[in-house]
Amino acid sequence: MKKDWTRIGRIASIVVVLAVAAVAPLVLTGGVAQNLAVLSILYAVVASNWDLTLGYAGIFNFAHVAFFGIGSYVAAIATLQFGVPVWLDLILAVVVVVAVGGLVSALALRLRGIYVALVTFALTQLCVALINSAKDITGGPVGLIGVPDLEIRGFELGSEPHAYFYAAEVLLILSTIAMRWLATSHFGLSLVALRDYEAYAVARGIPARRQRVLAIMASSIPTSLAGCLYAHYLIVASPDVFSFSLTTLLLSMVLVGGAGTIYGPIVAAIVLTVGTEGLHQLGNIRYMIVAVLIVLTLRFLPGGLWSLWTLVPAIRRRRATRVPSPLAEEASS
Amino acid sequence: MSMQGSRMQTTGSPPLLEVASVGKSFGALAAVADVSFALRERDILGIAGPNGAGKTTLFNLITGTPFFPDSGRVTFRGTRIDRMAPHRIFRLGLARTFQKEASFANLTVEQNVSLGATYGAGLSGRARERAVDAALERLDLSAMRRQPASSLTVYGTKRLMLASAIVVGPKLLMLDEPASGLTASEVADLQSLILGFRDDGMAILLIEHILPLLFGISERVMVMDFGRKLIEGPPSEVARDQRVIDAYLGGQSEAAHALAG
Repeated sequence: MKKDWTRIGRIASIVVVLAVAAVAPLVLTGGVAQNLAVLSILYAVVASNWDLTLGYAGIFNFAHVAFFGIGSYVAAIATLQFGVPVWLDLILAVVVVVAVGGLVSALALRLRGIYVALVTFALTQLCVALINSAKDITGGPVGLIGVPDLEIRGFELGSEPHAYFYAAEVLLILSTIAMRWLATSHFGLSLVALRDYEAYAVARGIPARRQRVLAIMASSIPTSLAGCLYAHYLIVASPDVFSFSLTTLLLSMVLVGGAGTIYGPIVAAIVLTVGTEGLHQLGNIRYMIVAVLIVLTLRFLPGGLWSLWTLVPAIRRRRATRVPSPLAEEASS
Repeated sequence: MSMQGSRMQTTGSPPLLEVASVGKSFGALAAVADVSFALRERDILGIAGPNGAGKTTLFNLITGTPFFPDSGRVTFRGTRIDRMAPHRIFRLGLARTFQKEASFANLTVEQNVSLGATYGAGLSGRARERAVDAALERLDLSAMRRQPASSLTVYGTKRLMLASAIVVGPKLLMLDEPASGLTASEVADLQSLILGFRDDGMAILLIEHILPLLFGISERVMVMDFGRKLIEGPPSEVARDQRVIDAYLGGQSEAAHALAG
């Protein structure tokens, strides 16, 4: 009986999500509203993928937002500077980002804890330095403008008002299915095991560095595609994507939404993107509001806003349902 | 000298595990110094010694978690393992437990064991299910399989740690104080479990402070003090040794004499 209700609830939520996804682009037609929607969906992809490495695997991986930025730059440079066909740049971006992600994480994961954060964050700084030093190719601090429209089998996404919106939604849905599948597979369980008790996990045959490098490489695939879509949609690749403020915004999505849930960061990405934009007349005060929200969440709801969802069954078996984030524990202890 | 002792005992069949002059220092402190011993299949070797004698460090050196020895050799099933990554050592059939009972608390009991089968033995599908079922059944955890591991009792968690080890059918089980914190009846149950594992063909290396258990099931006992091996021999002989009584058993020597019969 209880199982039936769980199944009905699951099917109902899938139906609702698909219905909203189908209708939203037709309703949100204004330029500003559509921009905001596409942006929040792309951020949701980045934040929920970051959750696999930050939340489930507990890796202090601060290279993640760089994967998004590199994806956008590969798309822009390949199409604008080298005339690569606009579908091939997607594949190229994935290949480049997965290779960079694998290399950086293989090096960074020789270290531990906070040093992983330092080395991975250095990748972001390295990207900015590269962009500024290779102006001819990257456009320097101004960035690259005029990234061509995304074209799939002769269909230009810009020619149809809802196309990018749907494309972003498809990416988010596919990425979420993939992340949930990974997180609940034995691979995902091994990441949680390594996070919770590494010495025990390796003593049961789990190769620590290999699993973590694979997690980072897997999470970089949808992230790089989000970066590509971002560049094609906005027609620009800008060094702003490597800024510290974007990293903190996306980090707040993961933490406020609930690390180790995948769904939480998606909801938080949409709420925070729309929320900070809706409050834009407040200027910089809105970032203070977000900052206060992060502190309050970590203090009083270390499982993130998504843990509200599971609060009812959690009253019965609290410890079972909560997958705490190592960052949240760090911050609240 | 100690090396010679271990060689003499292993003439005949080649040893399953051979530890030769292994040492590890932390700065000026020699946590383990020049320890040698050998273990044949289905052997039960008990390791005793006061706190800080280097027993757990010796386990850590053999399994490569979290560090390797500074000196010496460790050979398991004919393969050098003293520079081998710990997950590969487990895959070779050398499984250990940890002193502090712990589990992957956010996973279920079944998932805890299934991880061992997946990554330790490369099992999947039906074969994995069968191996996990058998291990859970063996350690009386079948009824709790869907529960989160964090909900288990102390002895339940210790049994889960054993289940995730034996699911791969290891050749050697290294148990670090498995009986600490258990009630008398649980210790008795654990004792029969350990003897059962030996009967299944596993060798056992056992660190234990509960002497009746240690002296009761070990075929040989090795006593360590200040990182060094003091003596190794049959339990009755070791319990009577004056050095052991002085260094370790101390006030318990009466009990040790009683044990030695």
